[in-house]
Parts: sequence; structure tokens; C-alpha cells
Amino acid sequence: MLKLTEINKKLGDFALSGISLSIPEGQYYVLLGRSGAGKTQLLELIAGLEKPDSGTIVLDGEDITHRKIQERKIGIVFQDYAIFPHLTVFGNIAYPLRSRKIDEQTIVKKVSDVARQMNISHLLSRTTENLSGGENQRIALARTLITSPRLLLLDEPLSSLDASLRDEMKRVLRKLNHEGQTIIHVTHDYSDAISLAERVGVIHNGRIIQEGSVDDVFNRPVNRFVARYAGMKNFFRLRVMKEDGVVKAFTSNNLELRIPENGNTGDCLAVMKSRDIKLSHDKPSETGHNIVKGKVDEIIRSEYGMEISVSAGDLFHTEISGREFKELGIKEKDEVWMCFPPEVIIILGTGQAD
Amino acid sequence: MVEKSPFKWIFLFLSALVLLFIIAPLAGMFIHTGAKEFFETAADKEVHSSIWLTLWVSFTGTFIFAIGGVPLAWLLARKKFHGKSIVQGIIDLPVVLPHTAAGIALLGFISRDGILGKTASVFGLNLVNHPGGIAIAMAFVSLPFLINSARDGFASVPERLEKAALNLGASQARVFFTISLPLAWRSIISGFVMMFARGMSEFGAVVIIAYHPMVAPVLIYERFSSFGLNYARPAAVLFILVALIVFISLRLLSIRRREKPFARDAEAY
Repeated sequence: MLKLTEINKKLGDFALSGISLSIPEGQYYVLLGRSGAGKTQLLELIAGLEKPDSGTIVLDGEDITHRKIQERKIGIVFQDYAIFPHLTVFGNIAYPLRSRKIDEQTIVKKVSDVARQMNISHLLSRTTENLSGGENQRIALARTLITSPRLLLLDEPLSSLDASLRDEMKRVLRKLNHEGQTIIHVTHDYSDAISLAERVGVIHNGRIIQEGSVDDVFNRPVNRFVARYAGMKNFFRLRVMKEDGVVKAFTSNNLELRIPENGNTGDCLAVMKSRDIKLSHDKPSETGHNIVKGKVDEIIRSEYGMEISVSAGDLFHTEISGREFKELGIKEKDEVWMCFPPEVIIILGTGQAD
Repeated sequence: MVEKSPFKWIFLFLSALVLLFIIAPLAGMFIHTGAKEFFETAADKEVHSSIWLTLWVSFTGTFIFAIGGVPLAWLLARKKFHGKSIVQGIIDLPVVLPHTAAGIALLGFISRDGILGKTASVFGLNLVNHPGGIAIAMAFVSLPFLINSARDGFASVPERLEKAALNLGASQARVFFTISLPLAWRSIISGFVMMFARGMSEFGAVVIIAYHPMVAPVLIYERFSSFGLNYARPAAVLFILVALIVFISLRLLSIRRREKPFARDAEAY
């Protein structure tokens, strides 16, 4: 179990502030944030490459805040892998064992084992020149795993891999985690978080702004920044008022929307996922839903199907599957109806509008 | 070269001029040296021992000062400390000093009244007119070449690699010897060769510390001032040839060293 309490660290103009985290043994924790948010710095603090200005780091009940890097038994795999260029692949993976006065036979056996696990046995006698990114990463991972770390820190492990290698690496990481390895995985890509994490922390400007299960963070973002991360593209500033006991909400273009009631009035920010909006040519007959007429502004191909932005005073971002798109036969400039229930609108408090 | 841009031709012409400027006097000296005088000089015992003295004293001096110079280079490349730029300035100082002035300063330091001279005389050693004094004079003026090159070498090793090694359980010392040093090796060797070569060619500082035993530059000067150009020339040619041979073979050695750094681990597997 790793416990960070009130970690502060100033690094030039940037600072990590008030970071508190608790990660139980065996958990797959994904730390999500843009580049420059402080993700790597936080990993380096945990690994001991940097010391915090204040706060404590406790691992398995032991305060390691001021422990030397070498004694922490926390493995870190850097984004650029940090493969030693003057050693062979074997030399790289064996490096940690050679610091420990282990006999050569045991070293060879251990290296072969971990290489088999990472599927790189065929590379062992190679030099590190001309290896692919994926191969380098497996070597770096093998080199760290051979130390049996109590905690494995991964800095953007999937960002420089192409799609097929990415899936393969995800499988490797999931398997490691299922075998009991505690992992902290740092990424800027929310899809990594969705597919791997048990728990997600969102870091922004050196602070953790939301933490929780994947479901919590992606379905109930606390602010606009997290919502963007969760892939939400519809943001509306709403004026909420109560007239004769009925709650009414208006966008800045005076479009009236039905929203989930929480008793609050005033200005607030509402967000909505693109796929929660249904499109049709004819006026939908659902009652109690938001029914909005608009004009197709732009159609862009997406991984899922088509992203269609619809202008109805305010601009709505919708996304439908390729099949749906064919059936509907929507073209730019078409008039379409949008339909979405109030529940899909997530209201962010005014204080957290950003 | 097929391209007909005048820009390129102007640059080529100017570069050729500079190269010619370096090559022409040397070539002229070689051409003006007759084979007979050359072989006579090559057989001259005094010339032999002078060249040999120059080589081994410069090499030994470089080697001994490298033991302290390389760690200093590492500190300069890796550590932040107050007064670092002053330290860097001090290291570069010998390059800008007139070398005779450096020699005078050193003489005060190593003569029997100086700190080092006093210490040496306790062991019955007089550094003035002694190979030890010559080595100190050579090192004094050539040390910046080694330190600066080694510093650049260490600085070019990604700090990430050192951090990764620490994270993998290696001690600071092990990281230095297994990661930093091998990766900066080429720059260190190159700096070593430069310091060695610069030390060999030193005249100004050495001549003040020790006229005898005579290192090659002093010998050449002595022959020139006593007997004239024709007598000094063969000795100069011979020394230049020897220096070139040593210089080129050390360079080749360091290049080969770079091509096979993986051999040990490949064999281990």
C-alpha cells in the first residue's frame, strides 16, 4: 500500500501541491493529465529521484520519504525507456542483478525467465541499436520487473506505440496486474485509463482535481477539465431559474433545456457526451426529453462512426455509428432533430465551472 | 559538388585557403629537409632521448592528472553548486595565460621556497630541472583540454540513464563506473589525447621550469638559436612525425574502442 500525504514540491515556476493519494496493494491506478501537469514529476518523487519539499511517502507502513532511490524497491519505466546504449539487451536486463553480487548462472536463468515472460528471448544477444519502440519498452519493463519491485511506475507506456502494439502491451500490463503487481500508470490518454484502470486520478497544474473509480470520473466529472478528458465535447453555460415551482434552464442563446433537478438555481456549466444525443429527420415523439431542431454544420469521420456537429443557436456535438449514419443519410446543411433525456446532462457547480 | 551555387564555391575557396595556411609551412619544412640530414638527426642520441622524454613525461602527467580531472569534469557536468562558473573560469585560465607567465608562477610554486617544492624536497626531490617539474608545467597548460572535453562527454550522457541505473539498485559509484564513464569514454579519451598532445608541444612554461633535461620543443629551440634554421629543421620534422604517429594511433584506438563496447556482454551471454 502506497500512501502520499500532502506532498508539495516546487520545480521552477511549476509546483506539485497538496498531493494526497492512497493506493492499495495490487491496484492498477491511472494518473491522467496533460503534458506539463506534473505526472512525471510525481512519479519521480515516488521513485525517489527527487525529494519533496514537504509531505510524506509511506510504502507498506514504512516512511520512505527520505529513503535513497536504491533502497525503495520501486521500479520506474521511463517514457523514453532509458535503455543503456552501451550494453546488450541481456546486459540491460541483467544490470540490476549485477549490482547484487548474484552468481552468473542465476543471472542467466533469471534474465531468460523474464525475457520469456516479455516475449523478447530472441533479442537477448542483440545490441540496443535498431530496436523498435515496442522492443525497447519490453526490455525496459523486463529490466525493472527483474528487481521484483513492490510498486511499478509507468510513465506514458503506451503513447509511442502503434495501435496493435498498444493492445498487446495493454494485455501484458493487465496480466502483470492480475498477478498481483501494483501499478501506477501515468498517461494523457483517457482511453488508456478506461481500459486499464481500477482507479483514476486526474492531475492538473500540479494538483489532483478528481479521484475515483473509472465510472465516477468519466460519468461524473467534477469540472470542465475532467469532462474534456472524459471525451465530452458539449459544454453549455446555463441560467437556471425557478418559475412557479418549475425549474427552467436556458443556454446563452436562450435555448431552453430540461435538466436533472438538484434544487439549485443560478448560473452553471452543463456537459454532455456526444453519443448521448440521438439524431433523426422527423420530429421525435419522446416525452419529457429535450427535443431540439438544428442544422448540420459539419460531418467528420471518427473511430466510432461519424461526428456530426449541429447548430441550433448553440453548437451541439453528436456522434453516431457508421451504420446509423448510412441509414439516416444525413448530409451537411440538412435540418435534423436532436433528442436527449435530461439525465445525460451533467451539471457542474458554478464554482467549478472551470 | 555538381551544384553551381556561387555561395558554395566561395565557402569552399575560403576553407581551402585556411587549410592551405596550415599545411603549407609544414609541407615546406618537410620539402626543405634533405634525407641525409633527416637520417643523421634520427640517429642522434640526444634527439632520441629528448623525444622519448617528451612523450613519456607528457603521457604520465596526463594520466596522473586525469585521475583528479575526470571526477572534476563529472562534478561540473552534473552538479549545481555556488561558484560553479568561477570554477569553470579557473579551469580555463591556463588557456588565456601567456605560457611563460604560467611557467614563472609554477616556478615559484615548485622551487625549494614554494609549497610543493618544499614538500618534494622532504622526499629528496628537486622538481626544478626534473621530469616531475616538466610534467607539472605541461599539465598546467594542457589540463583544460581534458577537463572540458570530459565535462562535455559527461554532460552528453542523458541524466535519465543515471537515474534509471540508480532506480535499478546500483550505487552512485557503480552508476559512475558502469554508465557515466563508459558512455562519456570517447570524449574522455579524446580530451586525454588532446591534453597529451598539447603537453608534448609545450615550450613556454617548460623552458622556465627545466631547460635540462631537454624536451623536444626546447631542443628544437636550442638548435635554432645556437646553430640556425637548417640545423633545427630536421629535429622539428622528426618530432612532428613522431607526434603525428602517436596522435593518429591514439585516435584510431579510441575509435575502435567505440565500435566494440558491447563485446563484453555479448560474450557474457
